[in-house]
Amino acid sequence: MDSTQPPVGLQEEEAEARQWEMDTLVGYILLSGVLLSMALVAAGLLWRWMATGSLGIEYRLAGMNLFEVVLHDVRLALAGAVRPRMLVTSGIVVLMLTPFFRVAASVVYFAAVLKNWKYTVFTSIVLIVLTYSLFLR
Amino acid sequence: MRVRPAPRVIAVRDGSMVPFYLLFSISILAGFVGAMSGMGGGIILIPALTLMGIDIKHAIAVSILSVIATSSGSASAYVRDHITNLKVGMFLEMFTIVGALAGAAITLVSTQRPLYIAFGAVLLGSWLALLIAGHETWRGGQQDAMTRWLELEGSYPDAALGAEIHYKARRAYFGAPAMFGAGMIAGLLGIGAGAVKVLIHDLIMGLPPKVSTTTSNLIIGVTALAGTSVYLAAGMIEPGLAAPVILGVVLGAFLGTRLLVRMTNEAVRRFFLLVLIVLAVEMIYRGLRGL
Repeated sequence: MDSTQPPVGLQEEEAEARQWEMDTLVGYILLSGVLLSMALVAAGLLWRWMATGSLGIEYRLAGMNLFEVVLHDVRLALAGAVRPRMLVTSGIVVLMLTPFFRVAASVVYFAAVLKNWKYTVFTSIVLIVLTYSLFLR
Repeated sequence: MRVRPAPRVIAVRDGSMVPFYLLFSISILAGFVGAMSGMGGGIILIPALTLMGIDIKHAIAVSILSVIATSSGSASAYVRDHITNLKVGMFLEMFTIVGALAGAAITLVSTQRPLYIAFGAVLLGSWLALLIAGHETWRGGQQDAMTRWLELEGSYPDAALGAEIHYKARRAYFGAPAMFGAGMIAGLLGIGAGAVKVLIHDLIMGLPPKVSTTTSNLIIGVTALAGTSVYLAAGMIEPGLAAPVILGVVLGAFLGTRLLVRMTNEAVRRFFLLVLIVLAVEMIYRGLRGL
């Protein structure tokens, strides 16, 4: 590889090997997030259909941000009120958190493994803006 | 579904009156065509949902949620194949997510008609881009100091050529603000706007085609998340509508990717040209006529 600036403190070849590990990590985060989310939504719909014979779910997440939705779900789960709609909501939450975790993992990887401070800052900015947007009211 | 009672009255707001099987099958179709054409599901999904009487803002909100799923799904494979350039992706994401937040905020305060017209214009632009799409061969260029400082370069294994391709991106100072615009379109209209991102990667930043499409895929997921969070906070993500739509779009995209291998590019292109122009005319007409 004809990289002009290998990250400080790492040999070029090692940096490339680490970069490949990061690709793999990011790839599996994305894959497992999407699969888990689809499974939750499908399970919620299936349960709903078996219980009521209908697939329609009529309710809205009226003006809640992601963390409020999560809190609401956790509270329902703790109260033992696991319902089809809760599974569907959790599926949506998992889906939204998938790219979020991908970015969070990248921050850690750039900082701790690749020791690339430039990209630690860039990915942190992305993470901060995303966190802000998830807290929007 | 009942006939719409009168013009300007939205009979169905959130999809709760549209039967599940109809939402599900339309979403499969949208995901399927989106994956085959490489343009993403939203561009078909939103016109289809509005035709079923769903309010365009709700259609946009649910579409951008489904974009997270389709882009993350396909990005996962490309990243593991080491084709995606994570640094290019992470750098440009800083700009697309801010654009998406702004775009989604504009949609929330906008009235419906401008959204139809804007959507129609994007469809028309995609149609034009596809019509005149040339097959320029990629060639590297001189890298500028800023792009070098940003470490925007890399290599990927090219299966067709059987070799490792090395490349250096350039003109990040044009690419970054252009990506803000691409993110804004994504947030505004609930689509991935992958075609716009690929254009920026190809024409401005000089990335090889494979790197440019796969990196665009990675960026789309995070951009869609920023847009989705605005629509969620506004109470516009309806789980009852979202469940059949995201399941259908992902299933359709999966099938579309499998079939893509077996169909000629020209057949896909002709079919998609027809679909795009019909939808573009239809959306613009509805925007001008007042729904």
